[in-house]
Amino acid sequence: MKKDLNMKVNVLPVLTYNFLHVNDSAITGSDINIDKLVSPEAASIPQGVSVKRVSFTEAGELFRQNSERILVSTGVPGVPNGDTSARDASQAVRTGMGADVDNLMESVGAMVDVYTVEEGVKANEPVILNFNMDKGQGVLTGQVIHAMRDSEITVIMDYNSEADAEGFLGVSTRLLAEDGAKINLVKAQLLGRNFTHFDDIGGACFTQGAINITTLELGASKVWTGSYINLAEKEAELFSNMGYLCRGDEKLDINYVSDHRGKKTNASMQFKGVLLDEAKKTFRGTIDFKNGSSGSAGDEQEDALLLSPDVVNRSMPVILCQEEDVDGRHGATIGQLGEDLLFYMQSRGIDEEEAKRIMIRARLESVARTIPDPALMQRVQYYIQNIL
Amino acid sequence: MSDNKQIVADIDHSLYDFKDIENEQDFYRMKEGLTEETVLKVSEEKNDPEWMRNFRLKCLGIYHDLKIPDWGPDIDGLDMDKISSYVRHKSDMKGSWEEVPEDIKNTFEKLGIPQAERESLAGVGAQYDSELVYHNVKDEVAAQGVIYTDLESAMRGPYADMIKSHFMKLVPPTDHKFAALHGAVWSGGSFVYVPKGVKVDIPLQSYFRLNAAGAGQFEHTLIIVDEGADLHFIEGCSAPKYNVANLHAGCVELYVGKNARLRYSTIENWSKNMYNLNTKRAIVEEGGRMEWVSGSFGSHTSYLYPMTILKGDESQMEFTGITFAGKGQNLDTGAKVVHQGQRTSSFISTKSISKDGGIGTYRSSVVINSTAKKAKASVSCDSLMLDSISRADTIPGMDIRTDDADVGHEAKIGRISDEAIFYLMSRGISEEDAKAMIVSGFANPVSKELPLEYAVEMNNLIKLEMSGNM
Repeated sequence: MKKDLNMKVNVLPVLTYNFLHVNDSAITGSDINIDKLVSPEAASIPQGVSVKRVSFTEAGELFRQNSERILVSTGVPGVPNGDTSARDASQAVRTGMGADVDNLMESVGAMVDVYTVEEGVKANEPVILNFNMDKGQGVLTGQVIHAMRDSEITVIMDYNSEADAEGFLGVSTRLLAEDGAKINLVKAQLLGRNFTHFDDIGGACFTQGAINITTLELGASKVWTGSYINLAEKEAELFSNMGYLCRGDEKLDINYVSDHRGKKTNASMQFKGVLLDEAKKTFRGTIDFKNGSSGSAGDEQEDALLLSPDVVNRSMPVILCQEEDVDGRHGATIGQLGEDLLFYMQSRGIDEEEAKRIMIRARLESVARTIPDPALMQRVQYYIQNIL
Repeated sequence: MSDNKQIVADIDHSLYDFKDIENEQDFYRMKEGLTEETVLKVSEEKNDPEWMRNFRLKCLGIYHDLKIPDWGPDIDGLDMDKISSYVRHKSDMKGSWEEVPEDIKNTFEKLGIPQAERESLAGVGAQYDSELVYHNVKDEVAAQGVIYTDLESAMRGPYADMIKSHFMKLVPPTDHKFAALHGAVWSGGSFVYVPKGVKVDIPLQSYFRLNAAGAGQFEHTLIIVDEGADLHFIEGCSAPKYNVANLHAGCVELYVGKNARLRYSTIENWSKNMYNLNTKRAIVEEGGRMEWVSGSFGSHTSYLYPMTILKGDESQMEFTGITFAGKGQNLDTGAKVVHQGQRTSSFISTKSISKDGGIGTYRSSVVINSTAKKAKASVSCDSLMLDSISRADTIPGMDIRTDDADVGHEAKIGRISDEAIFYLMSRGISEEDAKAMIVSGFANPVSKELPLEYAVEMNNLIKLEMSGNM
């Protein structure tokens, strides 16, 4: 089918000055080819894990049934200046990119694979989904990963195509980690340089649940990615680690949110990347301490290496806070390689170009090394080694 | 250690919250609302030159065309149909304190302004409602060629062309709706010109008092510090509290010449019925330096983000600010900087304290254009939450368009740390005193940037009285 896209996505949780052009992003395009509405099947499914293919709306039922727990409000309600939360209130569970992705999924009839991990089961191997995209192919699909009480699962998604391929890939992944459960989600995006890609993540963690998200955005020409995780109950945790590379005239648009509702919740979000040539990147990262989230901590770190005079780097690190007993931090380092580092490298006989290559690889490999599948890790490392 | 919570007292506004009754005999008050008729009436009252009259009308058109910002605090409580744009005493501005009308003199005496002038200022301007009532500059400063006068008379004097070429050029009326409003009904404010190479050793001060209920104050401050010159300008604002909304939409335009330095300090303590929608902007030439010290304590609602354009190579900017948002207050404050020249540098450091349901928002933008090679920018913002019914939000933005720049940002939100209290208590200090010391220490980076007497005023304003158990 052919589809015209006109979506407003990655809306900042609180609006700011319009001249910064960071309040949201638009996905537009006419006659986008979408010819596949299902996810690839995993080569093997670990014991204690079941898979069911349902419609996008039906897959959202799990979150609607749990909405009172997910959107728990223990304290005084309050909204920040420029609050945009009403916009995505219709979602079964809020996602980083927002309601327009849900609407697109529903309008085309995209199917969702629901992975359910039985109570107490620690999956003994990862679920690996290989999105081997053909030239010109268009795929729109979703997954729900539901880890029941005290269970654990790792899901790895491998998005790849030939280096110069064009196409469209849109993925929606929704997560629910129940009490004491742990979900490890790994996404490596090595799509061809003419691909348009979006990756939308949303989810919730209950008491002592944990969600770990590792993403590598290395390919495609236009990429939108968002994540919104509700740390709904006591001691819920989010760890997110992103590595990205933008080159040529690529555009990368990011919106990550950790929503702290439960007591003693903890979030750590790391973003490391490199911009080359005429690449443009917009980063939005929000830590939101809701009233009632006492004892919680949130830390967000951004490290952007800019290696061309023509890059554009926009960053919006936001902390919202309506709770006294919290610890929220944000740090950002944006710029080129430090002179001291270059001098050290040169004193070791490494010229400037080689020093840059080493630093690019070091940044991306620090994320790549955490991929729990050796074959994919090796392929990503090979990809990184051959970037320049 | 006990879990008992410490009470931090609200700011004591009583010092500023006295009202002087304004009767019809002594005061002229324009009818409420904003129409072409009211704008023309202000223009007539001010005896504007023709270009200014036309400019006001153009601004009114722009005001009607522009929308209220969608990103800031709610300003639905502000109804322009209930605001009088122009209120003045029926006497003229005086150059001698003795000639100022008794009722107005009493107001400024209570605020300590003449005393401050005698003791520590090179010149003083005092605005009461819409008009300057007093302006004076010390002889030795005037002898250096420093001009410090009200804007209206300057517009008709030898500096008329300078004013015409600078007025609302840095903050065009198209900038936002309330800049356009300011352009349409501005009244009062000061003009300062510091000639080439002149260093004014002691500060100049303007004090703005809005005494009338349901009125707006729209003063315009224009400061030009010429090449190699140096000036410290202090601005103070206050008003008594009424149960109707008041509006302050002032505009400050600062031109800092080559290798010049300007420090602009503000202690703002508008009453809690004030909508403070103020615009401040500076442009800095090669090697120049702009320093902002900003304390925001009053107002019901504030939109305040002093902006600096670092136009010249090696120009610098430093912003030090503190915001205290108490009960019923929504203070959205911060700073903006644009790096245009090479090797420019900016340093923004802010502190905000939220309590009793107050909303304190730090909002900023750092823009580094492709021309700003070897620019350095550093932002540090700390927020302290004193209870769990308040809000402290941090919304900083960065837009970087060159690789040859170094940008650092750090933000922290938290409460008074138990470890710090424990440490101080282990040194024999009581828990109450320990908390008081920590909060004072939190505000210290701002108070140390102010002249001593203003630091004392700020500490009085904060009055973080630590007492009792909840």
